[in-house]
Amino acid sequence: MPRRSLAALPLAAALALAACGGPADTNSAQGKAITVWLMDGDLSDKAVAAINTAFEKATGATVTVQVQEWDNINTKISTALAQDSTPDVLEIGNTDVPLFAANGALADLTDHKADLSAGQDWLPGLAGPATVDGKIYAAPLFAGNRAVVYRKSIWAKAGVTTPPTTYAELTADLDKVKAANPDPAFSAFNFPGQYWYGALQFVWDAGGQLATQDGPKWTGALEKPAAQQGLKAWQQFQNTYSGAASRNVDTKAPDQAAMFAQGNTSAILDTSVNTILKDNPSIKDDIGTFPFPGAAPGRTQPVFLGGSDLGIAAKSHNQDLALKYLKTAADPNVQKSAIAGIDGWTPVSTQIIDQVTPSLPPLSAAFFAAAKSSGATPATAGWATVESDKSINTFFADIATGRKSTADAARDFDAHLDQALNASQ
Amino acid sequence: MMINLGTSLKTSPPAAAAMTVAGAEPPPRRRRRPLLPYGLLLPAAAILALTLGYPLLRLVLISLQDYGLRSLFTGVVGWAGTANYIAVLQSPDLTPVLARSIGFCAALVIGTLVIGLGVALLMRQLGRRMRAAVMFALIAAWAIPNVASTLIWQWLFQPVYGVVNWLLTRVGVLGDLTQHDWTTSAFSAFTLVWLLVVWQSVPFVALTLHAGLTQIPRSYYEAAAIDGAGPLRVFTTITLPFLRPILGLVTILSVIWDFTVFNQIWILTQGGPSGRTTTLGIWTFTTAFSKNSFGQGGAIAVVSVVLLIAMTAVYVRRLVRSGETI
Amino acid sequence: MRIARNTAATLFCVVWLFPVYWMVNTAFKPYGDILSTTPRFLPFPFTPANFVDAVTKSGFLRDLGNSVLITAAVVAVAIVVAFLAATALTRFRFPGRRGFLIGVLVVQMVPVPALVIPLFLSLKSVHLLNTFLGLGLTYVALVLPFTIWTLRGFLHGIPVELEEAAMVDGAGRGTVIRRILLPLVLPGIVATSVFAFITAWNDFLFAYVVMKDQSGYTLPVWLVSFSTSTGTDYGGLIAASTLFALPVVVFFALVQRRLVEGMTAGAVKG
Repeated sequence: MPRRSLAALPLAAALALAACGGPADTNSAQGKAITVWLMDGDLSDKAVAAINTAFEKATGATVTVQVQEWDNINTKISTALAQDSTPDVLEIGNTDVPLFAANGALADLTDHKADLSAGQDWLPGLAGPATVDGKIYAAPLFAGNRAVVYRKSIWAKAGVTTPPTTYAELTADLDKVKAANPDPAFSAFNFPGQYWYGALQFVWDAGGQLATQDGPKWTGALEKPAAQQGLKAWQQFQNTYSGAASRNVDTKAPDQAAMFAQGNTSAILDTSVNTILKDNPSIKDDIGTFPFPGAAPGRTQPVFLGGSDLGIAAKSHNQDLALKYLKTAADPNVQKSAIAGIDGWTPVSTQIIDQVTPSLPPLSAAFFAAAKSSGATPATAGWATVESDKSINTFFADIATGRKSTADAARDFDAHLDQALNASQ
Repeated sequence: MMINLGTSLKTSPPAAAAMTVAGAEPPPRRRRRPLLPYGLLLPAAAILALTLGYPLLRLVLISLQDYGLRSLFTGVVGWAGTANYIAVLQSPDLTPVLARSIGFCAALVIGTLVIGLGVALLMRQLGRRMRAAVMFALIAAWAIPNVASTLIWQWLFQPVYGVVNWLLTRVGVLGDLTQHDWTTSAFSAFTLVWLLVVWQSVPFVALTLHAGLTQIPRSYYEAAAIDGAGPLRVFTTITLPFLRPILGLVTILSVIWDFTVFNQIWILTQGGPSGRTTTLGIWTFTTAFSKNSFGQGGAIAVVSVVLLIAMTAVYVRRLVRSGETI
Repeated sequence: MRIARNTAATLFCVVWLFPVYWMVNTAFKPYGDILSTTPRFLPFPFTPANFVDAVTKSGFLRDLGNSVLITAAVVAVAIVVAFLAATALTRFRFPGRRGFLIGVLVVQMVPVPALVIPLFLSLKSVHLLNTFLGLGLTYVALVLPFTIWTLRGFLHGIPVELEEAAMVDGAGRGTVIRRILLPLVLPGIVATSVFAFITAWNDFLFAYVVMKDQSGYTLPVWLVSFSTSTGTDYGGLIAASTLFALPVVVFFALVQRRLVEGMTAGAVKG
């Protein structure tokens, strides 16, 4: 009967699908194997292999690495950790750690802190967000941070031959570059209005904070005089040296690395020069880097430390092995050889940074130097809200475009911070 | 087949007429097997129940709970009663968000339907090659993945380097637009998103309507031509009545999809400048996922479903009835 | 008249194809050229490097295979299931019919972002997370409402007399469905299968959330892998998108034309 066969079709197809099954469950709980989730584009395959080899040598266990994408990663991790068979170890962007730590998704590592850090002073930008209510939920993996990348030849043509070391020198140099390149499509220093990672440096440099904590309560602090001073300095800098069209955009459209590679801007603040070199390999010897100088002489602006921590899923059946994996990754030798040596990422402690700095190629040195003074975002689950709803992008764009005065923008954003940072998630 | 346009077509659409005649007396064999239709519906009903129906119930349940990330990880959930709904209904954002959503939805639906119907009608009139070209354009626009189309949009309209800004400047009517940033005012930001959404949705509407048009027997048009009916009259007496069920369907679906449009707005404007392109889709997302308040996000979703039902009830009823002739 | 129509059609094609053309144009250029203040309308200097980057990126073949498998299954199942449902809805009268039709429309009204978590919880309770079956059923459910309603519309347009006449002539049920109903609803099936295909082929969010393990990812997940924390490989992404869209365009442009042309010579002619 054709009718019956037609009706049977979806069932057959469903069965066929069921027979294909899902992908193999790589997540076996049987002792000697762990699953590690790492983020796409962070550690290179070589660096991961180095960590895994060290781990396998120390424990005899095997590692399965799964690489995850950044797009919607918090939803992905949330749902993965809500399942019964979770990955054992997860790389989590440092500012997102509190979101998972405060909600019971990650194992408490407080008792193992001394063992994990091996006497190192972890960078506050990495360890801060992993510390919620005095307990630590993740160990640092690597840091990435921002330094000024500039085009030597364009600056030389304007009469600048040595990189500036103070803020006053920087603005004087940019004035010269700007005067020498009157094309409206050219920016002396491209600083997109929504680039909050960069703009925060000005706030911290002026002694300001995003928010302050009093007991369990967070309070937005951008209305305070110091923060206001930093915001005004940033607005001034942005409006003076970056093109008018950059005031409401982020770093992606137009893509600032490509703008730099094409010579449409002579300087940007960025985490590495790799993207630029991919866009235009021929300018390799024409690129220089230096840490963004602070307003006070002899200091650099505190940077927003990007980077990742490793956490252990609270539901993982391999807590001990997972802990050993974290220890391996944070180990000073692995940090020196793999994180800094192979990938050029900033290692997780000031001691290791000092040890590796002498042997660095000059282009990387500025990034490492900048990392030694860093700020952190509030270590509370609510911080993820502020990043995710893009209100912080809007806040800085409001100031850059002049849609709101720095005072008004700060008042509105502080109100949002008060609400978001204290919300129970 | 010849028909008298002057009388029969004006009063009753040919499709309905045919169905009424054919279905006036259902054959007895169908009455003897009352279980058969349920058997035919079963696979669809089962799949829908599992992956949409049950989640929908879960959603309503969640909207009454204090459901956040912690609940997701631990399974421990507290009841919120109507707190989520009260928070949503008392929110100062509610009225502006709704007004924006309805206005923007109307602009999208009208734009999509007018262009889509126009293209569908045009395709019936074109030669083989030209029609193939239009078909190709439609499918190509439809097939571009979202991540690419939003990126291309950003490129086309980006200040200083965008080709659209360059072209408009060349045309010269609006002055020098090379430095113009489309996202800095609410109106031009909406325009930017409107162009993208309409560009993406017209293919679906045009192809579906075109498929519907192919079902209209050519003989009706031939008859109309013999009777000397003008194009407008042919459209209102033959095309429109025939097309009504499918046109109604794509209208309702467009309203539903455009009312909660999210991705395009989020990527192009993030709801800015200063929240002035924040529509329901954005609000649901920022509440459910940025604040990780799935309960309150669920409440917004339920409220918007209720609104959609209210807005479309009359139309849905007519649509369901449009086939009530068996 | 004819000239006016062709002009309108040409204008439409130019406007609608422009973004597509711009994507392909960009994909063949060295990426940095996207940022020139005077746009370049032809990809000179021409480079296939972006495409090489794209196809050599890890996961391409695995995710392509998953995508093809899932999409094919979803289209087949959705069409068959919807055709059966539409037959029941148009050829029988039974209690609950209207309710079903309205219910199917209403489930469409839920904003998709709000559905992600409840859907996740539902699949979790029936142990279908991380399976192709769970993901496939999700896509089928997403396309069923439109598919059922559209096929219902098409089946309505077909007089029941036609089937009865054939039955009187001694044709079996199967023959009626195959020889009479199917050819007549073919345009509807084509339109709905394009819809089902593109929905399943283009979805990112559900594929990412439902499939926990990397081995079950589909092509859209591969597409977003060009964006990382250190920047986006836009050249690779745009070339990958071109590769991603191309087979769909070619396949459906061919299928649609042939089927619709064939259809107009069909039996409804009166």
